[in-house]
Amino acid sequence: MKIAFKMTDRFLKIVRTDLNRRHPYAAERVGFIACTVTPLPNEGWIIMANEYHPVADEDYLNDWTVGAMMGPAAIRKALQIAYSSGKSMFHVHMHEHSGRPRFSKVDLSESQKFIPDFWNVQPDIPHGTLLLSHNEVVGMCWVPDQPIIQSVTDITITGSPLLRFWRNA
Amino acid sequence: MMKDQSLRQSFLGPHSEDVFKASKIGFIGLGGGGSHIVQQWAHLGGGNFTIIDFDVIEATNLNRLVGATLEDVKNSELKTSIAKRVIKNINPDADVKVFNKPWQEVSDQLRDCDLIFGCVDSYQARRDLEIFCRRFLTPYIDIGMDVYEMENGYSISGQVIMSIPGSICMHCMQYLREDLLEKEAARYGDAGGKPQVVWPNGILASTAVGLAVQLLNPWHPNPPGSVYLEYDGVTNTINVSPRMEYLAHTQCHHFFNTEGMGDPFYLLRSKK
Repeated sequence: MKIAFKMTDRFLKIVRTDLNRRHPYAAERVGFIACTVTPLPNEGWIIMANEYHPVADEDYLNDWTVGAMMGPAAIRKALQIAYSSGKSMFHVHMHEHSGRPRFSKVDLSESQKFIPDFWNVQPDIPHGTLLLSHNEVVGMCWVPDQPIIQSVTDITITGSPLLRFWRNA
Repeated sequence: MMKDQSLRQSFLGPHSEDVFKASKIGFIGLGGGGSHIVQQWAHLGGGNFTIIDFDVIEATNLNRLVGATLEDVKNSELKTSIAKRVIKNINPDADVKVFNKPWQEVSDQLRDCDLIFGCVDSYQARRDLEIFCRRFLTPYIDIGMDVYEMENGYSISGQVIMSIPGSICMHCMQYLREDLLEKEAARYGDAGGKPQVVWPNGILASTAVGLAVQLLNPWHPNPPGSVYLEYDGVTNTINVSPRMEYLAHTQCHHFFNTEGMGDPFYLLRSKK
């Protein structure tokens, strides 16, 4: 299944700038991207980043076992955005290195705990999580009626040059 | 390892062959301009074509439509069939999706294109295509030429425009203006066959392909953002439009609202 994710280079810069800000106690920052989704003609989805929503400083838990742990308020606010805007939601965080990043086991297990909750408010569309490195992006996607979590197959950063990250590249 | 076809263009980078093969490109309009572009994209190693044109070839097209033959005219061949034949003769393995309809009727096939070339002949069509491309964050490259009658003969002009979502658009560049769109709408149905010749189309198409290569596979530093190039067929020159100088640090005020992204009717349909 083709799952294409697109955002402008300007948008990505906004996300990176926010994630690079130092937090009072968490080791890293996370955020949410509200997205427009449209199905592709045969099978698959195209997902386009619309708005970036940083997680507020006070909505992080003080948990030293992970880089960043969101509290219930952060999830609640993201659910509210999805509910009121009709958007798909993508959680986003960054690993501090160059090259292709990989989701850790903790990344995936924690995402599995809250991403399917977005279907409670927007059941018909995919939701997911993006992981940035200094120069690449990968993503995982929870697609309605699909038992297995899907990789985002094509990620495009629209700008000049046009950056594309293919899952099988 | 690169195929022999790509060896002479290996300076474009070790991954260029894969980039051209994997990129999904939309081609709207396969007349004088579009026929040149698909041919060049096939030579570059393009592997994924979505070609759209509802027209059939006529004798008046033979002066400029690349790949067309007299036999095609006798058979009233579809322009898409000619383009597909040109592509397949160069790249037999290319995936060529053919649509013989107005692009608006098959626009869902263009949603996941990496880039769209527009070779259409009206301001309205250009505006519609740019709006579509902005909805799906797809770069759009437009070409077009015109022949004008002057007091002492004829003049040829043309443009190559690259419109990149997030950057300035054809309205910002003032290539599209409301007064021009209104004037065009007022003389709708009255246009007749506009004069067209092969070499300006070739120059504009080649320039457009060069921009696309640099966008998708930057082989030299500092790729340009949105581009507006003006062609003067009398002096045989292409120059950056003077308007671009004033737009260097401008943000687009026509497509700043992200609410316009995607298929606006999708959720309405799915909730019925």
